[in-house]
Amino acid sequence: MELKIYHMYPDLLNLYGDLGNVTSLRQRCVWRGINVEIVGFSMNNEAPLEDGDLFFIGGGSDRGQNIVYSHLLNYSREMESLIEDGAPVLAICGGYQLLGEKYIDAEGNDVPGLGIFDYHTRSEEGRLIGNIIIKNSLGLSPETLVGFENHGGRTYHEHQPLGQVMVGYGNNGKDQEEGMVYQNCIGTYLHGPILPKNPHLADYLILKAMERKYGLKELSKLDDDREFSAHDKVLQLYAP
Amino acid sequence: MGFNITYSRFRYYFAVAAGKLASFILQRILKSSASAMPGKVAMTIYPDILKVVNQRCQGKILITGTNGKTTTNNLINFILRREYPSVLSNLRGANMPQGLVSAFLHDQKKNYDWGIFEVDEGSFQDVTKDIKPDYVLVTNFFRDQLDRYGEIEKAFQDILKALEPLDTTLILNADDPLVSNFRKLHKKNIYYGVTRNQYSTFEQGIVESRFCPACSNYLEYSYYNYGQLGGYQCPDCGFKNPPYDYQITEVNYQDHQYHFQFKEKDQKTQDISFAYEGIYNVYNCCAALSTALEIGLPLDKVARSIEEFEYHLGRMENFEFSDKIVKIALVKNPIGLSETISSIILDERPKSMLFVLNDNPADGRDVSWIWDAEVEKTVNISDIHKIYCSGRRAEDIALRLKYAGVPVELVEVNDDMDQAIEKVLKDDVEIVYLLPTYTAVFQARELVLARLEGTGKKMSHVREYLKNLKIPGR
Ligand SMILES: [Zn+2]
Repeated sequence: MELKIYHMYPDLLNLYGDLGNVTSLRQRCVWRGINVEIVGFSMNNEAPLEDGDLFFIGGGSDRGQNIVYSHLLNYSREMESLIEDGAPVLAICGGYQLLGEKYIDAEGNDVPGLGIFDYHTRSEEGRLIGNIIIKNSLGLSPETLVGFENHGGRTYHEHQPLGQVMVGYGNNGKDQEEGMVYQNCIGTYLHGPILPKNPHLADYLILKAMERKYGLKELSKLDDDREFSAHDKVLQLYAP
Repeated sequence: MGFNITYSRFRYYFAVAAGKLASFILQRILKSSASAMPGKVAMTIYPDILKVVNQRCQGKILITGTNGKTTTNNLINFILRREYPSVLSNLRGANMPQGLVSAFLHDQKKNYDWGIFEVDEGSFQDVTKDIKPDYVLVTNFFRDQLDRYGEIEKAFQDILKALEPLDTTLILNADDPLVSNFRKLHKKNIYYGVTRNQYSTFEQGIVESRFCPACSNYLEYSYYNYGQLGGYQCPDCGFKNPPYDYQITEVNYQDHQYHFQFKEKDQKTQDISFAYEGIYNVYNCCAALSTALEIGLPLDKVARSIEEFEYHLGRMENFEFSDKIVKIALVKNPIGLSETISSIILDERPKSMLFVLNDNPADGRDVSWIWDAEVEKTVNISDIHKIYCSGRRAEDIALRLKYAGVPVELVEVNDDMDQAIEKVLKDDVEIVYLLPTYTAVFQARELVLARLEGTGKKMSHVREYLKNLKIPGR
């Protein structure tokens, strides 16, 4: 068994330890005997998207994001049909914003997004920075997801959120919601990176990929002591 | 007007007195080592105090960039203090305006031959409002505590703006495209760098900018020395390493020392050894040598100073116990951590390691940076007995090591640093590498020193508490 993990624009979108998410996915597959190929999709490596089993899109600097916006726009229909078909996608921060209709920057200019989803993100005064704890809406156990958020954009939408904010800001600091879930596509502001400290979410994505490709219904268990002690430390330090 | 001058002078003396009182309380009563607090107190009362510092220093050197500021500052000080009787500097790395003021309050002379200050990238604009440097040395730009600065590009733009009106000589790391981009200011530029050598690589994991700072296309590299430092060229606009004024070549690591050749503009060369590891320290040496030669000191003397240099301030200090050596090396960002691991790989002695990861504001509250570092290289370290993880986020670094492929049994978590140090000192090894983040470095040093002197635990917790106290600045 093999999964092809597409790391989208690793050279442009690689903020705040997001590389660790790819490391987490790869290791958790390898430990279970699933072969992994990591494909770095970028301007100089436009690998066919339909070959991918799992997609990761990170965040980047404004400059990096602008370059990606205009390049990935050529692939938005392909991306959309992959998502409709149930391909698991994890999009973080800038990657999450990118999947929406547009980003309205500090000067009020519209930066077009891929328009796969009908949400938008607006740059507002002050950055939302800090440890964040949410209660996930995917039915995963434990209920909590922990991470660190750092974003100037506020995202507004009516989709299913990834979770309810317990500590921190989330999508916009107003409606207590964090992230977005549609089919197996997850958008979120959680860095940290999110997957190593939330192995239940990492396995959720891997299982969705294995299910879509091989019809697998469950994954073998791993020893997650280290993972959950890091998870629990965040709860211990920052939960109310 | 007369009233104003008297009033202002009164305020100045009052500010100095208040700052010194704060300093006295911290140092004598609480035995605190490094603190910017006296400076904060004085600046609250007399905000222009840095202008006084500016007037009293004849020559001024500012050192900025992400990594290597404190080491380079200490090196330049070590060299210059042998030639000049009075030098003012913030040697302990308190590098915001209040830190510079604290250094001044500490000895307060009427005149200094040199004022040499390391300046935080985020404070550079603030500091240069009052301090007008003769030389500005820029080491490199890496990701560091991004939650504080936003982005590297912003740091570059801020410094660029601050440099623009200054009449100053720039001493620039030619091998960092982000630094050499200051050439566009057309100041007097002095370039230093390290040529391709046996430790250069052809692939680099963490590169802050693969893009040409001049035209935003992909940069091509013929080699990397570390991070984005190396031989670069833009195929589009021709942006590339400027020719060196000073360079280091023939780098070789042997017997726990770096040996290299330093070459001047006129091709005069000198063989030099340096006792601290890491290719990043070779760059720090090159920066210090270049600065010293630029202000007119003779090469042979400067080279001797570099060889005799000893570090005493916790950033990469060596402590000799009867049965082992303890090395403390501050780690605070991905490049620094990656390079520290690389240098430990060269050390074949039996060893243990202790990471201390804190997430206090001064460390950067976001610990995700450890995932941007090439911790995977840890598996190449030989003869390793145990890796301890400590600090507020001990579990995070332990998890990072697990995903880097380090066997879980090799890694022990203990978030009490005092206990962790106690344990690692009992290991049957020749050398202990202690790698703390910023807020842990002084405490770690004191805990090690206390054991070396056999005095038990000191008041480091009180000091830790004081360090995190907030007093409004200007
Ligand atoms: Zn170019």
